[in-house]
Amino acid sequence: MLTPSQIDEFRAAVDPDGIITLKSQLQTYECDGLTNLRALPGIVVLPRSAREVQAVVRICARHKIPFVSRGSGTGLSGGALPAEGGVLIALTRMNRILQVDIPNRFAVVEPGVFNSQVSQRVASSGYFYAPDPSSQPVCTIGGNVAENAGGAHCLKYGFTATHTLGLEVVLPNGELVSFGSPAPDASGYDLTGVFIGSEGTLGVVTKITLRIVKRPEAVQTLLAAFDSPQAAGQTVSEIIAAGMLPSALEIMDTLAIEAAEAAVHAHYPRCGGLLLVELDGPASEVAALMPEVRAICLANGAGEIRLAQSDEERALVWKGRKAAFAAVGRISPSYIVQDGVIPRTALHEVLAEIGRMAAEAGLRVANVFHAGDGNLHPLVLYDRAIAGQEETALDLSYRILRLCVDRGGSITGEHGVGKEKQEALGYMFAEPDLDAMQRVRCAFDPEKIANPGKIFPRLHLCAEQAGPPTAHPLETPISAEAPS
Amino acid sequence: MSSSAVVSLEQTAAHLASIVGEEHTHLSGQTISAYPANASEIAEVLRFADSAGLAVTPTGGGTKLGWGNSVAAPILLGLGRMAALREHSWHDMTCTVEAGCAWNVMQAQLALHGQMVAVDPLWPDRATAGGIVSTNDGGALRLRYGSLRDLILGMTVVLAEGSITKSGGKVVKNCAGYDLPKLMTGGFGTLAVIASVNFRLHPLEKHARAWTATAPDPAELRAPLHALLDSQMIPCSAQLRMGPQECALDVRVAAVPECLREHEVRLQQIFAPVALAEPDPSVWRARESLFAQPGALVLKVTLLPADLCSIAAELRQQAAKDQIELAIVAQAFGLMTVALTAPPDAAFLFVERLRARLRPSGGSVVALQVPDSLRGRLEVWDCQSNALPLMREIKRRFDPNRILNPGRFVGGI
Ligand SMILES: Cc1cc2nc3c(=O)[nH]c(=O)nc-3n(C[C@H](O)[C@H](O)[C@H](O)COP(=O)(O)OP(=O)(O)OC[C@H]3O[C@@H](n4cnc5c(N)ncnc54)[C@H](O)[C@@H]3O)c2cc1C
Repeated sequence: MLTPSQIDEFRAAVDPDGIITLKSQLQTYECDGLTNLRALPGIVVLPRSAREVQAVVRICARHKIPFVSRGSGTGLSGGALPAEGGVLIALTRMNRILQVDIPNRFAVVEPGVFNSQVSQRVASSGYFYAPDPSSQPVCTIGGNVAENAGGAHCLKYGFTATHTLGLEVVLPNGELVSFGSPAPDASGYDLTGVFIGSEGTLGVVTKITLRIVKRPEAVQTLLAAFDSPQAAGQTVSEIIAAGMLPSALEIMDTLAIEAAEAAVHAHYPRCGGLLLVELDGPASEVAALMPEVRAICLANGAGEIRLAQSDEERALVWKGRKAAFAAVGRISPSYIVQDGVIPRTALHEVLAEIGRMAAEAGLRVANVFHAGDGNLHPLVLYDRAIAGQEETALDLSYRILRLCVDRGGSITGEHGVGKEKQEALGYMFAEPDLDAMQRVRCAFDPEKIANPGKIFPRLHLCAEQAGPPTAHPLETPISAEAPS
Repeated sequence: MSSSAVVSLEQTAAHLASIVGEEHTHLSGQTISAYPANASEIAEVLRFADSAGLAVTPTGGGTKLGWGNSVAAPILLGLGRMAALREHSWHDMTCTVEAGCAWNVMQAQLALHGQMVAVDPLWPDRATAGGIVSTNDGGALRLRYGSLRDLILGMTVVLAEGSITKSGGKVVKNCAGYDLPKLMTGGFGTLAVIASVNFRLHPLEKHARAWTATAPDPAELRAPLHALLDSQMIPCSAQLRMGPQECALDVRVAAVPECLREHEVRLQQIFAPVALAEPDPSVWRARESLFAQPGALVLKVTLLPADLCSIAAELRQQAAKDQIELAIVAQAFGLMTVALTAPPDAAFLFVERLRARLRPSGGSVVALQVPDSLRGRLEVWDCQSNALPLMREIKRRFDPNRILNPGRFVGGI
């Protein structure tokens, strides 16, 4: 609980209208996109500058008050879930694009700038900002950095990490530091790299230098209808094996198509597995490769194949795909979005296994995923109103993540661990692996006040003396008679 | 340090031999080389070194041991026996390679399935995956494929006190936990010893062509280079080479055959009236020749990409004035390798001036190869970052007894 005098300190640190203390207003901030987890912050502060962020964080550091950074709150893993009674730092007022440098292809922005605004700002020069989470009109660059956000076009263009050249960060002790630079390879450890994807646990980002990319001359989007997502998946593997690197390869199954149709009428062909292939680049190259893609689709039994004929048609295709999560709300009262990653080659087997597990649990799972990089988004559909169903659905969603790990993959491709997948992180990594990560945490935030209780499965204290090393499972040869 | 007794060189050698085997331990002068066979043996060596307070320098092919501040470590941990391409999942376009695998050996095996790690480092015959990653070395291909940090999916590393840890993964997309491989990439072996690396792969370029435009003055190439990078072409590489007399811009493009002809026409338009010629493939290894000049000071200069040609022109003028012999190989994304042969004072001044010139725009000048005449005098690193204390704290958390390459890195890390 914050004391009145602490609240006064915070009040003095920001603009008069930059602090929220009324319970009714605090409720707006009690959860992010993972709405089943809620906590009420003690106060919300809305700083306008790095200096104000510093002032706020210094107070937190002085009194060891936990703080949580928040952008738009669209995160899907509970990353921006407040620390109960602690401080929530909402960065939405720091929303200026500070600099655009076309000849050097970078832009400097504040953390509250929305993802799409960067592309809009540089569009007239023929450039864009490549990472494109489906939430891009509303999610912030600060949130993207914290989650290492991806999107449909990451297959070719890479993730937030690929496109971030430098950061300005307020450390958990209130110090303001800069990492990286618009020139490549700044001397020293790549702190920009390690900060990206750290989910608000290493400090508050107050400025970001982003790479911008030339807009491709030509873009073509093809829809191909298959009997099953597996057939679509096989097509994806063959397109990649042919040496092509499409800008996007997305698959939707029957349920996901049905949901998207209900929500945005994208005019998708009704089928068991819909494949969306987008090629971009020099016009002659796109023109040369699209027939090859088409041939591979046909060879794998595609029924209807349709090329978007105009920018409007292409926009509609993407609208359907990007609306898929929310659209699932049309066909199910409640749903859980998961984010597991598998090696592309395991797609066939894993989808079949997910189907089997879903049937066993008596639930439906809709699949819409970034097939090119094996990033699944299984949507577990359920009804919260039915007693016990939420628990069954959660259990199913976690078992799907473990399945991904068992097949050599990861529990999260782009949504982060947050509050949701902490146990799963413990399944994916052994204790020594987590301990190595904690060393970074302890270097940045020894008091653990930045977004505490997230990512890691267990509480860890930053002891000054490291304990005796524990053996890694890799070190212990798998014994023939493992206990069953 | 838990051990108070001073361990003699012979005792150390004997202990290391008990871990990695007699035949894989060599004592020469004040240095013991030990060659572990696997991560567990690395762990045992480090555990011993950590408790005895003995410094360790991990090494692969030894091609870049001179980079960074010099370290006199009694233990040279050679990764040469850990040289296997352990896994190549060609359908998934990923691989796992042991740190001591020579780059070209790895690439040759990946090529059997038409794939590669899209990085072109220095001395690929001898340089190993671990050393290349630790020094973050890479050449002209970075323009198209990104740098090492974008191509590394995961790693297994051994920490100073001997724990083996994995981070990242084997899949091309993954944001579970902190991205520790980013810290290890370019960390000069100061945080942990890399045992193996998981890479993302690309298809080999089936159809590629290269062109070279030459001009007397690099400033003349500025506008065409800018036009090229602002165009719809996506070159794999664009490289400026500058000697005392002439300078050249090499451009390499990979595309489907139908498009290569069109790219050529576009390039001719961009470079007109300068004519284009086909370069010898060796131009892509031009960086290596800079290190081969005896007594040369070799610098890694980072700068804003748009300043490349104008800075090159400035440097050439400056060099002519100061009677410095200068050669540059520069990559279009803002990285120059500069070799200069000059009396120590002139070279020293040249570096200091260039540092001051580039600092405001975030650029830097790191001395990679330093002639004896400048060793100890010229600051090797160029780190102005206010995050240096944080870097030191990270080092302390990973290697509290400072056994891994102590002093080699920025700020004496
Ligand atoms: C419909 C929908 C579709 C989505 N599609 C995608 C997708 O395709 N790809 C994808 O990657 N994600 C997707 N997401 C998830 C989400 O939009 C991203 O994770 C996004 O990056 C979160 O941004 P935000 O501004 O909403 O951050 P928040 O949710 O507010 O915060 C996310 C995390 O970032 C931290 N944080 C926020 N700002 C800062 C800061 N300035 N400094 C330090 N830490 C900070 C928070 O503490 C939290 O841990 C989707 C979400 C929705 C609702």
